Amino acid sequence: MHNLTQEHLAQAIGVNRQTILAIEKEKYIPSLDLAFKISRYFGVNIEEVFIFDEKTPTHDIFYPKALT
Amino acid sequence: MKKNSFYLVFGCIALALLAIFWYSVELHEPLLIEIAFIVGIVLVYLAKIKVTDIINDERDMKITEQATMRTMQVFWVIFCAFSIGAVMEILHIPEFPRQASSIRPPVLLPPRMMGYIQLGLLCLMIFLYVGFRIYYAKKYGDFETDEE
Repeated sequence: MHNLTQEHLAQAIGVNRQTILAIEKEKYIPSLDLAFKISRYFGVNIEEVFIFDEKTPTHDIFYPKALT
Repeated sequence: MKKNSFYLVFGCIALALLAIFWYSVELHEPLLIEIAFIVGIVLVYLAKIKVTDIINDERDMKITEQATMRTMQVFWVIFCAFSIGAVMEILHIPEFPRQASSIRPPVLLPPRMMGYIQLGLLCLMIFLYVGFRIYYAKKYGDFETDEE
C-alpha cells in the first residue's frame, strides 16, 4: 500500500529491521513509544495499526499465567 | 567507527589479552593479567560507543535485560550454594574435646582447586548467559525470516 520495505521503515523510526519483522510476526509487543512512532509514520491513529488485546500477557514468563 | 572495524579492534584486544595471559603465567604474576583484563574491557567499551552502524533498539535491550536477569537468578543460587559450603567449613570449630575427636577435620581446598572452581563458575555464568540470550532472541523473533 505504501510501497515501503521493512528496512526503510526500520531506518525511519530508528530500530532494526528484525524488530519490524518481529512485530509483524507477533513475536514482539512494541512499547507505546515505538507504537506511536510507527502509527505517526503512516499518519494514522495508533488503533488503526495496533489492536490492544487484554488477554495478551504483557510481562513474559517471570510470572505464572494465573497471576497475569 | 563501522561495525566491522569494531570487531577487528575487539579481536586485536582479545589476542593481546591472550598473549598477556600467557606472559603472566610464565612470569607467575597474576596482577599483570588482572590489570590488563580491566584495561582491555574498558577499551572494548570505549570502542563500542564509537560504533555508528549498530542500532540497539528496545527489542535488543529487552533481550539483554531478560537474559541478564535470568542468568543472575540462576547463578546466584548456584554461587550461594558453593559459598555456603565454604563458609560452613570456615566456621566449623568443634567446641568440646569429645566432639572434636569424633568429627572429621574441615576440608581445606588448596588454592589451585579454588581457582578451578572459580573458573568453572565463570564458565557456567557465560554458558548460562549465552543460553538465555539465544532463548530470548528466539522468543522475540530474532531468527524469524519473512517472505520478502
